[in-house]
Amino acid sequence: MALTGCAGGVERREVVVTGSTTLLPITEVAGEMYSEHNEGVSILVSGMGSSAGIESVTTGSSDIGTSSRELKGAESELGLVDTPVAYDAIAVIVHPDNPVRDLTMAEVRAIFSGVITNWSEVGGPDLPIGLVNRDEASGTREAFSKIMMDGVPFDRGAVVLPGTGQVRSVIADVEGAIGYISLGFVTDEVAAVAIDGVEPSEASVVAGTYSVQRVLHFFTRDDVSDVAREYMSYVLSPDIQDTIVREAGFIPITAKEESGD
Amino acid sequence: MTEPEHMKGAPSKSGLKMMSRATYFREAMLKNIFLVCAVLAVAAVALIFIFTTARGWGVIKDPGLAAFLGGTEWSSSLGRFGILPLVVGTLAITFGALMLGAPLAIGTAVFLSEIASPRMRAIVRPAVEMLAGVPSVVYGFFGLVMLRPIVAELTGGMGFGTLTASVILAVMIVPTISTLTEDALGSVPPGIREASYAMGATTWQTIYKVLLPAAKIGIIDAIILGMGRAIGETMAVVMVAGNAPQFFKGLGAPIATITSQIVIDMSYATGTHKTALFGLAIILLLMSMGLVALVRALSRLNAKKA
Repeated sequence: MALTGCAGGVERREVVVTGSTTLLPITEVAGEMYSEHNEGVSILVSGMGSSAGIESVTTGSSDIGTSSRELKGAESELGLVDTPVAYDAIAVIVHPDNPVRDLTMAEVRAIFSGVITNWSEVGGPDLPIGLVNRDEASGTREAFSKIMMDGVPFDRGAVVLPGTGQVRSVIADVEGAIGYISLGFVTDEVAAVAIDGVEPSEASVVAGTYSVQRVLHFFTRDDVSDVAREYMSYVLSPDIQDTIVREAGFIPITAKEESGD
Repeated sequence: MTEPEHMKGAPSKSGLKMMSRATYFREAMLKNIFLVCAVLAVAAVALIFIFTTARGWGVIKDPGLAAFLGGTEWSSSLGRFGILPLVVGTLAITFGALMLGAPLAIGTAVFLSEIASPRMRAIVRPAVEMLAGVPSVVYGFFGLVMLRPIVAELTGGMGFGTLTASVILAVMIVPTISTLTEDALGSVPPGIREASYAMGATTWQTIYKVLLPAAKIGIIDAIILGMGRAIGETMAVVMVAGNAPQFFKGLGAPIATITSQIVIDMSYATGTHKTALFGLAIILLLMSMGLVALVRALSRLNAKKA
């Protein structure tokens, strides 16, 4: 059934994109830009969480299910097609004057769960550690908790700030502070620490040696519509990867090919 | 005296006023318009109360009244919705704000009402009133950028927490308390003031021994209303309190309040979590209703005494 648009017989087509809120900054902006360039196409984006995205693409209520995690359990037997879209790496950041530049995963876990409370316990100066956490709605917190904390609960006494920018500016300001933000948002105001000896960088993320990272996915059925396929290749094009994806704090998935792997 | 013909049709039970039909309708219409205004205001309060109660009522079943009111942990990811740390946080910050803000506000009111020259008053009063007009996000930003580093220096922490939030709230409640206290001092009969001076009392003695006791109930009213403002304040608190839902651990430790937890959680809450947030809203409503009831009871007491 083709509906005619008011601009003279252009076919109206829709792509329904549902899933992870982490991916919203990419899917939404790319969606708007795509419909601007392609008359009659509307990209309907909603963020309900990765599980809901996978569920809705399976049942057919959406064309693309976005997810910030891999398929798990029964999901991997549904025959969904996986298209990686971007890397999301999280950097652990400290004040630039803090001499500690290398922590093990176990140390970071102990710090964020409140077991280690002074920098001297991890080879730094005698300075109390100021913990900065994100709010529970944050996708970054969720990812950090899954990858880094391994089921260990966060220290409830940590300062909770509702935004990446706030975390960064507080850590830039307080000498004993430690927090975490998406790698793409790290600036000179703060210092990112190496985890298990690996410095966070685009190269180490792409090589897979930096462990605090995850891949953001588009999942589709194999009978995906042409317009959805076109939208996906638009998201994977350098136009989007080098602008929107980077601006959202992620690392382009195309970085992998560029580095020659 | 005969009435003009066109006024005869106007209904008038008392017969004291005669008016044209047009005037009568205009008057009746205006009365109704004002009635509608009043009804709308009452309806808004009732609707908010009914809606919040309906949405939050579920806390009785899940997580259960005991776990909700008596729980010591608030963590949406663990599914625990105990409000005690938030209530303690709200009370701690409010108490701190009153300890700092009330003396400041009452001092300002005494100055304005008893000491300041008219010229001085013309400068200070608008300045205090302007404090009430500063948006709370500006207070929060000021607290975050200016006050937080100072508190961090003093307490050795990061500067987020009870002390910073209390100082910011103290400034925010000054206009509420000081304006109402000034009214209370102004309504002390002038004869009392003059009698005190006539007995040879100094200005300080008059203020301390005569005026403040005479205006006592009005001042308590003012403090209670300031307390209501402090309990309900959200934006400024979220920015400086640190929002850690833990029990009070010292002036420099991060803390969360009922309002800050609602605003931090509401963007993503679903199911029991959402119900629990509405439950928090009910607690807030009950708190402010309690405070208003207290003010009304005090005013009645005052009226009886006078």
